[in-house]
Amino acid sequence: MQGSRPFVFPRWTNSLRTLIAAVVIVGVLYAALVVAYGASPQTTDVGYQPEQPVTYSHAKHAGELGIDCRYCHTTVEQAAHAAIPPTQTCMNCHTNITIGNSEKLTPVRESNASGMPIEWVRVHDLPDYVYFNHSAHVRRGVGCASCHGRVDKMELVHQVEPLSMGWCLDCHRRPERHLRPVKEVFNMGYTTANQLVDGRRLKELYNINPSTDCSTCHR
Amino acid sequence: MPPVSGPATGKTYWRSLDELADTPEFRKFVESEFPNFAPELLASPSRRRFLKLMGASLAMAGLTGCRWPKETIAPHGSRPEGRTPGESVQYATAMELGGSAVGLLITSYDGRPIKVEGNPGHPISRGATNAFAQASVLELYDPDRSKGVMQRQGDQTFYRSWDQFAAYARRHFDALRADGGKRLCVLSESSSSPSLADMRERFGRAFPAAKWWEYEPISRDNERLGSVRAFGQAWRTHYALDRADVIVSLDADLLMDHPAAIGHARDWAVGRDVDEQGQRRGTERAMNRLYVVESAHSVTGSMADHRLAVASRRVEAVALHLASCLIERGVAVPSVGNALSRSSRPVEADFVEALAEDLLAHRGRCVVAVGPRQGAAVHALAHALNAALGAVGTTVSYTEEIEPDRPTHAEAITTLSTDMRDGEVDTLLILGGNPVFDAPADLEFGQGLDAVKTVIHLSLFPNETSQRCTWRLSRAHYLESWGDVRAYDGTISVVQPLIEPLYDGKTPIEVLALVIGDQPAKGYDVVRRTLQASSGGADFDTRWRRALHDGIVPGSAWPTAEPPLKRGGWAAELAERVRGGTAEAGQVELVFTPDSHVYDGRFANSGWLQEMPDPLTKLTWDNAAIIAPVDAERMGLRRGDMVRLEAAGQTLEMPVTVLPGQAEGSVTVSLGYGRTAAGRVGNGTGFDAYRLRTVAAMEVVTGVTLTSTGRRTMLAVTQDHHAIDSRVGRRERDKRLGMLYREADLEEYRRHPDFAQHAVHHLPLVSMWREHEYEGHRWGMTVDLNKCTGCSACVVACQAENNIAVVGKEEVDRGREMHWIRIDRYFRGQPGAPQVAHQPVACHHCANAPCEQVCPVAATVHSSEGLNDMVYNRCIGTRYCANNCPYKVRRFNWFNNHKDLTETEKMAFNPEVTVRARGVMEKCTFCVQRINAVKIDAKNEARPIADGEITPACAQACPTQAIVFGELNDAESRVARLQADRRAYAMLGELNVKPRTQYLAKLRNPAQPEVALPGLPKATHTEQTDTEHS
Amino acid sequence: MTTLPAHKMLLDTTHEDPTRRAPLVLGDHDFGSVTETVCRIVERPKPPRAWYVAFAVSVSLTGVLVGLILYLFVTGVGVWGVNNPVGWGWAIVNFVFWVGIGHAGTLISAILFLFRQKWRTGINRFAEAMTIFAVICAGVWPGIHVGRAWLAYWLAPYPNQMQVWPNFRSPLVWDAVAVGTYFLVSLMFWYMGMIPDLATIRDRAVTRIRQMVYGLLALGWRGSNRQWLRYERAYLLLAALATPLVLSVHSVVSFDFAVAQLPGWHTTIFPPYFVAGAIFSGFAMVMTLAIPARQFFGLKDIITMRHLENIAKIILVTGSMVGYGYGLEFFIAWYSGNSYESFAFLNRALGPYAWAYWIMVTCNVAVPQLFWFRKCRTNVWVLLGACILVNVGMWFERFVIVVSSLSSDFLPSSWGYFSPTAVDIMMLVGSFGLFFTLFLLFLRYIPMVAMAEVKSVMPQALMEGTGHRPLGDYWGDMPHPEQRHKAVDAEARS
Repeated sequence: MQGSRPFVFPRWTNSLRTLIAAVVIVGVLYAALVVAYGASPQTTDVGYQPEQPVTYSHAKHAGELGIDCRYCHTTVEQAAHAAIPPTQTCMNCHTNITIGNSEKLTPVRESNASGMPIEWVRVHDLPDYVYFNHSAHVRRGVGCASCHGRVDKMELVHQVEPLSMGWCLDCHRRPERHLRPVKEVFNMGYTTANQLVDGRRLKELYNINPSTDCSTCHR
Repeated sequence: MPPVSGPATGKTYWRSLDELADTPEFRKFVESEFPNFAPELLASPSRRRFLKLMGASLAMAGLTGCRWPKETIAPHGSRPEGRTPGESVQYATAMELGGSAVGLLITSYDGRPIKVEGNPGHPISRGATNAFAQASVLELYDPDRSKGVMQRQGDQTFYRSWDQFAAYARRHFDALRADGGKRLCVLSESSSSPSLADMRERFGRAFPAAKWWEYEPISRDNERLGSVRAFGQAWRTHYALDRADVIVSLDADLLMDHPAAIGHARDWAVGRDVDEQGQRRGTERAMNRLYVVESAHSVTGSMADHRLAVASRRVEAVALHLASCLIERGVAVPSVGNALSRSSRPVEADFVEALAEDLLAHRGRCVVAVGPRQGAAVHALAHALNAALGAVGTTVSYTEEIEPDRPTHAEAITTLSTDMRDGEVDTLLILGGNPVFDAPADLEFGQGLDAVKTVIHLSLFPNETSQRCTWRLSRAHYLESWGDVRAYDGTISVVQPLIEPLYDGKTPIEVLALVIGDQPAKGYDVVRRTLQASSGGADFDTRWRRALHDGIVPGSAWPTAEPPLKRGGWAAELAERVRGGTAEAGQVELVFTPDSHVYDGRFANSGWLQEMPDPLTKLTWDNAAIIAPVDAERMGLRRGDMVRLEAAGQTLEMPVTVLPGQAEGSVTVSLGYGRTAAGRVGNGTGFDAYRLRTVAAMEVVTGVTLTSTGRRTMLAVTQDHHAIDSRVGRRERDKRLGMLYREADLEEYRRHPDFAQHAVHHLPLVSMWREHEYEGHRWGMTVDLNKCTGCSACVVACQAENNIAVVGKEEVDRGREMHWIRIDRYFRGQPGAPQVAHQPVACHHCANAPCEQVCPVAATVHSSEGLNDMVYNRCIGTRYCANNCPYKVRRFNWFNNHKDLTETEKMAFNPEVTVRARGVMEKCTFCVQRINAVKIDAKNEARPIADGEITPACAQACPTQAIVFGELNDAESRVARLQADRRAYAMLGELNVKPRTQYLAKLRNPAQPEVALPGLPKATHTEQTDTEHS
Repeated sequence: MTTLPAHKMLLDTTHEDPTRRAPLVLGDHDFGSVTETVCRIVERPKPPRAWYVAFAVSVSLTGVLVGLILYLFVTGVGVWGVNNPVGWGWAIVNFVFWVGIGHAGTLISAILFLFRQKWRTGINRFAEAMTIFAVICAGVWPGIHVGRAWLAYWLAPYPNQMQVWPNFRSPLVWDAVAVGTYFLVSLMFWYMGMIPDLATIRDRAVTRIRQMVYGLLALGWRGSNRQWLRYERAYLLLAALATPLVLSVHSVVSFDFAVAQLPGWHTTIFPPYFVAGAIFSGFAMVMTLAIPARQFFGLKDIITMRHLENIAKIILVTGSMVGYGYGLEFFIAWYSGNSYESFAFLNRALGPYAWAYWIMVTCNVAVPQLFWFRKCRTNVWVLLGACILVNVGMWFERFVIVVSSLSSDFLPSSWGYFSPTAVDIMMLVGSFGLFFTLFLLFLRYIPMVAMAEVKSVMPQALMEGTGHRPLGDYWGDMPHPEQRHKAVDAEARS
């Protein structure tokens, strides 16, 4: 039908333009935001609290009974790993003491009898290409609580810090914010009036200058 | 029980495992080794997480949300005393090869041996190792290893338990006791184990009439025979190369192919470690001088100051001529006297004359060594010469031999196979070895074997021999066994297990005990008993524990003696042979050598060794007939051309490779390749030279014909690919060599100690970027080219330490080998008589690194300690860094190289080093994991790091200690002092990359006046090239 | 004074007559007929069978490319021939090749526009299209050539939990930015220029769908004076914006090599030499596309022989510049006294890759010299053949630069040879498939000649004194119809 008046969109479509533009822009921003937040370790990892084979309560043992971390995690001061204690360690006490619900202890007893390990689920799980060394930190005044939170208040352990690379770097760049006297490392409740002042002093004292080289953690 | 056919290959591995899993033994080992986890472990796809895991082991569960797979931690029920999960421990043990041992320290993680080091306390090792020892870890975890017990009935093979075998053995062998075991034979590898010797005696008592034979395809019997002829009794010869100023090697590869090679290399290097006056550091003595007369270009030959390439069968003529030259010069060579006439005058006259002069000038400070391929008479002559030159007592010493009067290996295997064929053998017990494959071809050993009713084979692998046996017993790897072995000098080491037998194996000792129903039957008890018997009772436990800890039994070395030469007819006979020898002049000879990858074939299934480039040919995954350039030219052959070799009625088709320095008319073929039942890795690699080997000619065959077939085959070499071999390229290579590999004669070095600095001149260098500053550490390395023999132990050590992948022949041919340290090998001078340059090249950790500037994602960056960090998990794989690296030391993961690894193989991984994924770049890190480990320990103990406390794997393995690593910021450290040495230079320093690795220039020590060698250029920096780089 | 016989002047626009200027559009075209000729192509219900054949072929080749990329992703870049030392292979060669092709378009539209080269109007539209598609083809390669393509986004600077930024010292980062910008601006420029013509199509469209689609694309263009005014200003601005990019993009691409220290890469001559080469190959490709296009779609009157001749002249010039570059490389290599540098070039000419080097020299330096001769400049077959050879030559130039330099650098021990795998070859072919798929779609659905601009340089633009006044003043002769008929008769008689 040549010659008919050329086609144009009706006037009312003009009002749509702004609307469409707005929707697109907002949509994009929203998507970006959701991804950025959703993918951050803050969201994915913090608060991770898996079921454990034994409902072991740090709150009871470390908190109420005030057992030192090192009673169970013996290797923390010598080795890279703060080893999970062998069943033996539990039985040291629990052979005699059987307070509380004893069903809870059944897996432990079984393990002790059979020699088969208890399969604990890992809470603080770094990627394979990250090499973290506990001894290097606890011996220089980095408290357990700084990374693991107030474990002594946890019924069931969960992750409180993102354990992301940026989070590590924050401390490696400004250690004074977290340093504490070495003797206080295992003191869960340690607080100080002025962390920064103490921190700087300790940084001098212990000659702490954390490396931010890649090979410090990645090998 | 259902049958499984043939040797368990990778394919049937899991299947057979399932079946094994039914046997109580297997369940036992699983539980003892991986409490409750083996099923998950062996089935799960988990990689080194499993290794890194602290407690004992780990199993993977499904994905939970968007998190990575859930990990579980399985701590011990009760932790063994002194065990710190995730920390490595070292144990001393020893590895035996060909009847003599090297002392080792094994690093073990959570009960998994992962790395082999030399034992500093051991007289031979002295902290160093060789490639074979380094690769033994991989062998331990090899999934193709023989598993449990198998019995062949008809054409079916059944899994049996050790109990079933024990029951059978009791019945079978008790029956044999009746006639004292007249029709019973034992064939064993040669072994130095006192316990085994003891068990052998007990066996002899149980079966007085039984025969015990000993066979090694790579034999040093000629040395024994030589000493018998010279002294009337077998003596073992020892060389103290550190005391020698002139070392003469007649076809002897002292630095590589000798039971004491590692020790020799260290001693020899002492004489190459010179100060700026050209004298050995801290002494007045001169640098040593090495003469080598040989046909094949050996590692020792490549280190020679003067090398004479003659066919192996002509070596005796040279030796004889040398003797007569000395006699002419008034040296009284005992028991030779005037037996020699000068009728036949070898062509190499002037070389020998000069050599004789040099020896005379160094009486008492020289050695004449003869190789195992030379006849007994030549050895006898060498003994006489050493005595005449006053070497005995200073540089040469003698000790007793093990079983001095045993038949030679050749005799043993011959008699045995005749007996077998004559049907005089009903039961044959083979302890290790692989005679079907490696016995002389004309014996047809395999057919003989079929004539024997019952053949029991104890073997690490289900190999060619096992296939023809009735019983296959899996042998425990030395890392799984209790045992004892003697070093070349007699020092006893206790072999202690690092891990429970993975595949339910037993040691020869245990099997013998089982066969003769002897008590105690456990290896541990037997070894203790033997040691107690030998070294007295009182306070034995303390000494036992000390022996375990130190890795040696102190004072167990044999006393040295100076046996008197006895007059013998050998001299005259030798002279006779030499005169006659001229008859076969012009004939082509074929020389058999052990292979640098697979030794006698036993290491054929080791990917690490297969892919290690041969020190001279740079060949991987293959052996080839090595021919001289002149012969190649005459026959129009080049690398990869298939030829037909015909010798003594046997024929073999194999490819040739052309090697400068190979003697004209001499073809060298290494033994041990062409395996058919080696396993997934070794099957179908290379060509079986044993098929040309006959009892009559075990070492050298003359009258060989070599005809081209016109066909070609691909040989994977890591250097000198033909495709790039253009004329311009070759000219440029020769031009550059003087700049890259700087060397000088000793004399010239004395005149200009700083010659290395003048090999390259360039404009002042200015950097575009701000230079790095280093407050704390500044790591650096030096490589002393004057010591490096190119033995390649470092290459395999690095592979073991850093989880470096094996890529296979095709990929190597594509130029995709993954080695972090490679040894560049160059020839200079005439193809007939070249000089060889070995130059190890790893990442130089440049202070002004080209790779760092171009990486778009900052995956390779400079550390505050001067390391060039490579961050695998940041790398996206643009390969820009590799392009821009002038040393070409960066390696890229073109594929997922670990895809096909079985779980057992993954157990060999070093948990301290990330296993690289597909698509990322990798390279030498100066073993940063070791650096950090030491740093953390030192900090924890609040002490400074001692010099030499940090040793990268390559430096640790190096027999000559050519590689030195340390702290450059400490002027007193070894490495700092070496970099201050005037021989030190930075390769490609003119690019202003500021490499942190420096080389110490090579020195050659030709005789003065220079011995005339055909067309040998004086190794000076005549190719002084001015160059600059903006 | 002697004037040419009318018919010569008519039919041979390549003849230079100082007294008068040759028209840019032949035949007795008026605005209507131009519109008709161009739009007919887009509006005809069924394109010629040739189109279908060509399209089928290119689509299947594109399929091959896509398939191979998937294979690459699941297997690893090892499926290519790349190795150590040759870490970059055909992927990068193809990238540089396509980016180079992607030069002519924007150059023609922007730079020639600023230089008031009115003859550009006939060819700029699909030259630009070619640019866009070439850059798309180029963009494929850097993405997939990295070992872990799924992490390639780390090249972009964005805040992340690792607190790691890209390394801004790396030319690859600059490269990503440069090519990205170039693509966006070229796209905008192209679309910008297309608006009036899209409107034309819309107005002529008969089906509802076409009306709406082209209506949307035309962004409500009505051809009012005000719109024309804005349009031309915007066009001018974009042209000014695009011009420096034409030079920058390939300079930056050349930094990938020039900034490295590899002998044969490490040279300051690269930026100009790359740009010249890019224009060279770009125009060659324009020619390769223009000749069949004007043939098949009867656009001989609009894309006249004069256009082709002008392109040929540019090719001759840039080709000679490239040749000069080749020569200078050798001179500098010798003059610098740097042994590595001099070997690198000796090795190129005489080494294992000599064959590639001499193909390159022949195609890029020797072949264009034909264009000194008018006979060759005005013979479509010669033009087509020569331009295809030039494209081949320019691909080999990149191959020589990338591969031969890498294959033998500093340490002779590490020299190695690169040989492509089947995957390499099929992926290159596939990328051509992608290019032609896009180009054929363009021919089918978008007016391949900028009608509005062509009209602006037609005599009528002034004759009807009304309407909008085109850029610059009226020029060119409009031959009188009768004269023309006479001329034709004369032709016939003689």
